Amino acid sequence: MNNVKMWLVVKPTVGVPLFLSAVPIGSVAVHVAVLSNTTRVADFLSGKPIGGAAATASLVLPEAEAAKVAFVPGGSQEVLITMPDGTTTRAVLQMPQDLAALD
Amino acid sequence: MSNDPDKVWPTGLTLREAEEVHSYLIDGTRVFGVISLIARVLVAVTTPWLG
Repeated sequence: MNNVKMWLVVKPTVGVPLFLSAVPIGSVAVHVAVLSNTTRVADFLSGKPIGGAAATASLVLPEAEAAKVAFVPGGSQEVLITMPDGTTTRAVLQMPQDLAALD
Repeated sequence: MSNDPDKVWPTGLTLREAEEVHSYLIDGTRVFGVISLIARVLVAVTTPWLG
């Protein structure tokens, strides 16, 4: 075994606690350095999708072409649809059984 | 016991005792290494670590 004879010079009561504390201190230092130089964990904790800016952009782009739908205020079942070109139209949402009754 | 001719100073351990201490330390280091290796594989699979 390599380095066995170090324990003939360094008391285990000194060397073992030194070694066991050096490992977590070094490990924590590396993790702090990683966390303070990246935003991945902060993004994850704030609910952003994993994968960074590139993945976020690819998620946003298709949405830009999609129509946006919002409920018309007043508690009705009408929704306002905003098309990608800016034109709007209204639609009425009906339950499937109501639609079946109309047929 | 204190007159054991195998004892080596300044620590007063014998070579056999030093080997025993060292073997436990090496075993612990190996266990730590295996756990950290598993953690690294999990991080590499689940995050864009290292691009």
